[in-house]
Amino acid sequence: MSKKLLLAASAVALLSVSPAVAASDAEIQEMKNQIQQLQQKIGNLEANQVSQPMSEKSAAAAGSIDRPATAQRAAKNNSFNPGIGIVLNGKFNSFSSDEGEIAGFTTGEEGERGEEGIGIDETELNFSANVDDKFRGAATIALHEHEGDIEVELEEAYVSTSALPAGLEVKAGRFFSEVGYLNSHHVHADDFADRPLPNRVFLDSNYGDDGVQVSAVLPTPIYSEVGLGAFRGADFPAGGAEGSDIGAYTAYGRVGGDVGDNTSWRLGLSTLQSDGGISREVHEGEIVFEGDSDLYVADARLTYAPTGNAQQQELILQGEYFHRDEDGTYEDVDAATGAVAYDDSQSGWYAQSVYKFHPQWRAGARYSQLYAGDVPAGLVGSELDGEGHDPWSATAMVDWTNSEFSRVRAQYSHEEGAEGEGDNQITLQYIMSLGAHGAHPF
Amino acid sequence: MRNIILMTLLLGIQFVSSTQAQAKVNIFACAPEWASLSKEIGGDLVKVYTATKANQDVHYMRAKPSLLAAMRKADLVFCSGASLESGWLPILLQKAGGPDVQAHTTGWLMASDYVQKLEMDEGADRGDGHVHPEGNPHVHLNPHNITKIAAVLADRLYQIDEANVTTYSKNYEDFTNKWAQMIAQWEVQAKPLQGANVVIYHKSWSYLVDWLGLNVVAALEPKPGLPPTAAHLKTVLNSIEKNKARAILIAPYEDEKAAKWLHEKSSIPILRLPYTVGGNNRAVDLVSLFDDTIQKLSLK
Repeated sequence: MSKKLLLAASAVALLSVSPAVAASDAEIQEMKNQIQQLQQKIGNLEANQVSQPMSEKSAAAAGSIDRPATAQRAAKNNSFNPGIGIVLNGKFNSFSSDEGEIAGFTTGEEGERGEEGIGIDETELNFSANVDDKFRGAATIALHEHEGDIEVELEEAYVSTSALPAGLEVKAGRFFSEVGYLNSHHVHADDFADRPLPNRVFLDSNYGDDGVQVSAVLPTPIYSEVGLGAFRGADFPAGGAEGSDIGAYTAYGRVGGDVGDNTSWRLGLSTLQSDGGISREVHEGEIVFEGDSDLYVADARLTYAPTGNAQQQELILQGEYFHRDEDGTYEDVDAATGAVAYDDSQSGWYAQSVYKFHPQWRAGARYSQLYAGDVPAGLVGSELDGEGHDPWSATAMVDWTNSEFSRVRAQYSHEEGAEGEGDNQITLQYIMSLGAHGAHPF
Repeated sequence: MRNIILMTLLLGIQFVSSTQAQAKVNIFACAPEWASLSKEIGGDLVKVYTATKANQDVHYMRAKPSLLAAMRKADLVFCSGASLESGWLPILLQKAGGPDVQAHTTGWLMASDYVQKLEMDEGADRGDGHVHPEGNPHVHLNPHNITKIAAVLADRLYQIDEANVTTYSKNYEDFTNKWAQMIAQWEVQAKPLQGANVVIYHKSWSYLVDWLGLNVVAALEPKPGLPPTAAHLKTVLNSIEKNKARAILIAPYEDEKAAKWLHEKSSIPILRLPYTVGGNNRAVDLVSLFDDTIQKLSLK
């Protein structure tokens, strides 16, 4: 049908665009014949290509590198264009308290609770592809609104090696660092609508920085991996290095495996060391920290599929413990405290459980707790003074996943961020993914 | 002194190369059918790791730690391809796969690249459910495809482990001879099944259906990848009253609830076929997988 149309169209085109060359009927017939012959040839070629049986013995004996019999092997994501994906995310937030403060901690902008009301949350653009046979590249651009302005954030832009031996991988550029479990994951893959308290205060939700990371999956019977990273120190909790200094170092080690056929687990230890004279401005510049900030994280995750098929039912348990040592000076600019010497530690943890009780439905619960530590005399009454209160938050959520590309969620949290300031938080959220969508790590 | 160092080095190299010569070829098989084929052709010379079990849906696996550990050792990655494993295999290759198992290398074998795929021209709009624009990836249930893939696998093993070409080639000949006989036998056995109406859960049966000339009258999933809904099942019930179906086919990992509902309303028997090796007690290798499948289908 379409071939005939094409033929007719080309014949008409030939006649109409070149009236000077008045082709005779015989010539047109000749052309038609030639076109038909060509079409037949192409048809034969295609047929051969598709159905050509790997004539067993010859192919096997030849010892040549085989080529796929079909031509369509790289249809996925298009061979030469990067895989492009868009994650659309919308939220409705309702908070009972006007203050979203987490007493005794200095949170960055991203670590604060979301904005109230209806609004689009982060819109993520993802690009990824193999650069060539040895490198892979990926970039994530996030667009979000903050106080009425659309902010464009280059969340990730990195290259990594794909063909190094001995389980080695080198990653360079800007990326979410492997500190704890959640930090290296994109927010759209989270099991709750917001990050737990310790990730918000210690990592400003996500620590992503410019740097280099070398990691190796070791040749052990169970999974084990170690990695080291060196970063500019441009993102919270680091505060920007001077000159050519390296502002932050990371190191991690983790192990994992299966128990029987239905249970998988992973344990990890990691650290983020922000060294040297870094300065960090948080709470929109009101509080300045200068000094060394060392964060240590232990993380654990376990998945259990009661029937063996996680697509039907699955239980996920996950938790992280954070400990931060800080040595330097804090200054609350608004309270005019001046730079006060600070040498103390803070800690926090969360534990969560998500249960998929139906292929499309999941329910989850999470508890987060922070321990603020002592406040030096010079900072009493400032933003850093938690008045002995240890913030906590309890969360429940239920979500519906229509397909692997769409999810709708309702979440309720009760957050005691400061003494006597219980905040009831309700969030309704959708997360949808268009286009190419990369695989998610465990 | 220098001599001693040299000697130690030489001995060391010799030791390393001799252990290498004895080392088995590590095959990372994404699914039991490919593990089984690997054992047929590789015999004792290969060590096969099977990433998924018959009761797991290969499409929805996680890139779990045990898989990373196994990928770290792989000399050959043997999977279905056509996006079936796209949710987890890329992570494994990226994090733990060596240079010799990356995409389009000798150690990377995607079975669906070597057969004529079905459902290739169907649109690529996710409004139609979980579609695979590269074609249906569940290629192993047509035994003629196994024949083609066995040839490619043998060829890869020749390249990866040249020292043992004779053994591989003998295993390959034995297997294909046996396999050709079995296919002939199955095709005779299954002749009466031609044109039989069946209800399927998901398009995981397309190649079996195509091979045996079965006729799919309905699918329990409203759209590929979406679980059955009450409304859709009612439509299915209405449609099959017109064309009497012989059986409702479900795989070990597919939920039985919807099939049961339809069975109660229509009395069409539920047929839980093994789908892959290990899918039931009788399907212990590729031959018994097809034996059992044809037998179960032929039962009245």
